[in-house]
Amino acid sequence: MLGAAASWTLPVFLEKTFFALDALAAEAATQAVTGKDGTILVVLQMAGGNDGLNMVVPYADDAYHVARPRLRLAPDQVLKIDDHIALNPKLAGMKSLYDEGHVAIVQGVGYPNPNRSHFRSTEIWQTASDADRTLSEGWLGRYFDNCCSGADPTVGVAIGEETPQAFAAKNPTGVTFSRPEQFRFRPSEPNNGKMSAEEILFRQLNEAGGGDESGTAATNAGGSIGAISGKTKNDLSTLDFLQRTALDAQLSSDKILAIARKYKSTVPYPQGQLAASLNIISRMIAGGLPTRVYYASQGGFDTHAGQINTHERLMGEFNDAVSAFVADLKQQGNFDRVLLMSFSEFGRRVQENANGGTDHGAAAPMFVLGGAVKAGLFGKYPSLTELDRGDLKFNTDFRSVYGTVLDRWLKAPSQTVLGRKFPGIGIV
Amino acid sequence: MLTPLPDSKWNDATAAHLLNRAAFGGTPDEIERTRQKGLTAAVRDFVDVKADAADVAPPAWAHPRNIRAQRMEIKAAKDRGENFQSKVREVRMMEGDEMIDLRRWWLDRMLNGPAPLLEKMTLFWHGHFATSTQKVRDAYWMWLQNDTLRRNALGNFGALAKKMSRDPAMMIYLDLQQSRQEHPNENWARELMELFTVGIGNYSEQDIGESARAFTGYRIDFTTQQFHFAPFQQDHQSKTFMGRNGNLNGDEIIDMLVSKPACAQFIGRKLWRFFVEDDPSSAVVDSVAGTIRKHNFEMRPVLREIFSSGEFYSERAMGSQIKSPVQYIVQTSKLLNAPAPPPLAAQNAMRQMGQILFAPPNVKGWDGGKQWISTSTLLFRYNFANYLINGDAILPPNLRQPRQGADVGFGRAAQYAEQIKRDPVDVGKLVPADLRAKSHEVVDLLAKRFFQTRPTQKEIDAFAQFLESRGPDITDANLRELIHLMMSTPQFQLA
Repeated sequence: MLGAAASWTLPVFLEKTFFALDALAAEAATQAVTGKDGTILVVLQMAGGNDGLNMVVPYADDAYHVARPRLRLAPDQVLKIDDHIALNPKLAGMKSLYDEGHVAIVQGVGYPNPNRSHFRSTEIWQTASDADRTLSEGWLGRYFDNCCSGADPTVGVAIGEETPQAFAAKNPTGVTFSRPEQFRFRPSEPNNGKMSAEEILFRQLNEAGGGDESGTAATNAGGSIGAISGKTKNDLSTLDFLQRTALDAQLSSDKILAIARKYKSTVPYPQGQLAASLNIISRMIAGGLPTRVYYASQGGFDTHAGQINTHERLMGEFNDAVSAFVADLKQQGNFDRVLLMSFSEFGRRVQENANGGTDHGAAAPMFVLGGAVKAGLFGKYPSLTELDRGDLKFNTDFRSVYGTVLDRWLKAPSQTVLGRKFPGIGIV
Repeated sequence: MLTPLPDSKWNDATAAHLLNRAAFGGTPDEIERTRQKGLTAAVRDFVDVKADAADVAPPAWAHPRNIRAQRMEIKAAKDRGENFQSKVREVRMMEGDEMIDLRRWWLDRMLNGPAPLLEKMTLFWHGHFATSTQKVRDAYWMWLQNDTLRRNALGNFGALAKKMSRDPAMMIYLDLQQSRQEHPNENWARELMELFTVGIGNYSEQDIGESARAFTGYRIDFTTQQFHFAPFQQDHQSKTFMGRNGNLNGDEIIDMLVSKPACAQFIGRKLWRFFVEDDPSSAVVDSVAGTIRKHNFEMRPVLREIFSSGEFYSERAMGSQIKSPVQYIVQTSKLLNAPAPPPLAAQNAMRQMGQILFAPPNVKGWDGGKQWISTSTLLFRYNFANYLINGDAILPPNLRQPRQGADVGFGRAAQYAEQIKRDPVDVGKLVPADLRAKSHEVVDLLAKRFFQTRPTQKEIDAFAQFLESRGPDITDANLRELIHLMMSTPQFQLA
């Protein structure tokens, strides 16, 4: 039996599996939350502390120019939004999108008792906790736990090396990978495109109750046990839990790989890791992966010295990658279903330092963009003179933004996920 | 109280279970030797290690430095408008390298040291008194804390808690070394109660404020990196803590907390979850708490009773614990009769599996149990097993042989390449040539080594069939493939 199986080629196997999966998915008829046709959230983390003052620039404010003799951006170079603020010169794509009515800029976002440690402040944003509390689960993890039980394991997809703390949940959910081809079992011997006997046996060993008498062969690898037994992962015995996860891993891996092979973008993407991440995401969306929340990150924002060139490059990368992503989604006809939200763990100091850079700050803007977004400026631009220990004071709690996205976009009860109600914002 | 296990119930399976939990697993030989010793002797050998088992030589770089001078040098350069960033980067890289080495050092203790329970209890306390290098930064302080934990791991819990209040890494992590009598910092006081002794709901906010006053004047001398008291910073006024009044100091606060029934419950539950099962019944927790109070929080007799109890060897508990990432790395290396993976690979694996030694995600430490497993971490374990068995040959060539012009910097990339070198496992040691006649025998031998519970006949047959399909001879390469498959199963994650 194994001998015959060993002659299958990989694509044949995948087709069979996919077909079987689709058939079973139709049968299982779960009310699972799915990104397949529903709305999708893309969270973009700008890691290191993005200098909000040079991204959304108060060009008409003297205090800005006085505080930043070297780092200030000249009024004739910035892309004006109104009489007071403008966008960084490298954000031309964002400016167009704003003019089209697809970008909401939330100003002065932060939280009470701001923490200026990368580690701790990132944790606060990821867990949506108050500054004086420590929570283990992430805000998206709590969303998955509360609102997505029975959903596909790919309900959350993070592109990168490590699962973000935002995904940490009581029921570990979500999938993390840097490249789709990586997210799979790699047998000892490279398989040259053929499914090796090793890989076949691997699949058998990792199916639901693979060792019992029901003897599921690879083509009958049905939907996850949960859909059949109705149990959530937490209720399962430890071995059952492991087997369920193993099966989920295989199914997700197959799906992701199949989509990655089938869907390539025709829109050109720039170089760079953020563009590559967003490209993967757009292909997953095109391929109908039932993901509700994608997560990507862009690093390098901790500009303590020599900021001018670095920040300009980062703004350019952000702009070009997100613009390509948007163009791609528009071409797919999926732009209205997607909402992209960018954040950073804190902004930077108003006053530049002696090394041509800036130090850790507090409040900063968030961008929220998508086909269904209500564009415009939200919140207030913080005062550059009435500061909190040298930093911009926030006027919009970041959990208001999270809460709005949860309630209005993901249709999930923000009070449950965030622990309490925060005032909503009219961004969507 | 816990009920002792009758001698008649001691066998292969219980011996293996003891090795899995009190240590980092055992090879079939070790299991057999443990079985032969009998329960009492086996437990005694683990628990009653001499105090000098903790006299472990530190890594070469782990000695105190004049941190204050180093920081002032950087500050002076900054004030002069010089590029101090390169000096900061240098310090960061050194910290990074030292932490990689510190993790290597501890994994080596776990795998090769003579006192595995001592290391396992040190790991338990590390997760309990959670402290992260991400805030503490300096690797010597992280080593110093580890050393203190090891020296007190099997001793008295109250004494250990007091030592932690004076531990520089802990003091930095919970801001105790900044605490001044005019405005005491409550971070340490709160976590002492919430996470280290009695648990949430067993103290008031006022207790936190009052005890914070008792912990003033705790300082670190940054020229020697050691603890000292600053008497002028201490609050010598009367405090009211949990109904008691007086000029209480930090040690007295700890004594009072340890004496609360809630403390024995809290520590008992944590110990049971770490060593036995994720969801202990309240009856079992009560028993363990009783044991802890009976022995006045001395860990040796407590552990002796736990490891000798019928409850420890219950059917529910045996073979049902998901190996923590650290356990996974150590136990797998041991079962493969292979060295620990090289330092950088080990660190990366810990990161991808969700448990980086010396960097718990927050002061709550690691939850454990099912939290270790997600689709991503499970796939990672399967693919990491490939590396452990087959070595660096499975990694992409550009990682193994960096070319000039790589992003990271050629020197660094070359360094990394050195640091992930690993030979394939010598399977001849696991399955000698003369035992390779029959595929079923080979599968039985390996299954006995790698699985806690015997796989089903169907699975055994599938493994044997796989081996046979590979060819008439059972080669080393075939065996490595088979072992990789065995490790790429849900069952292998259990101990």
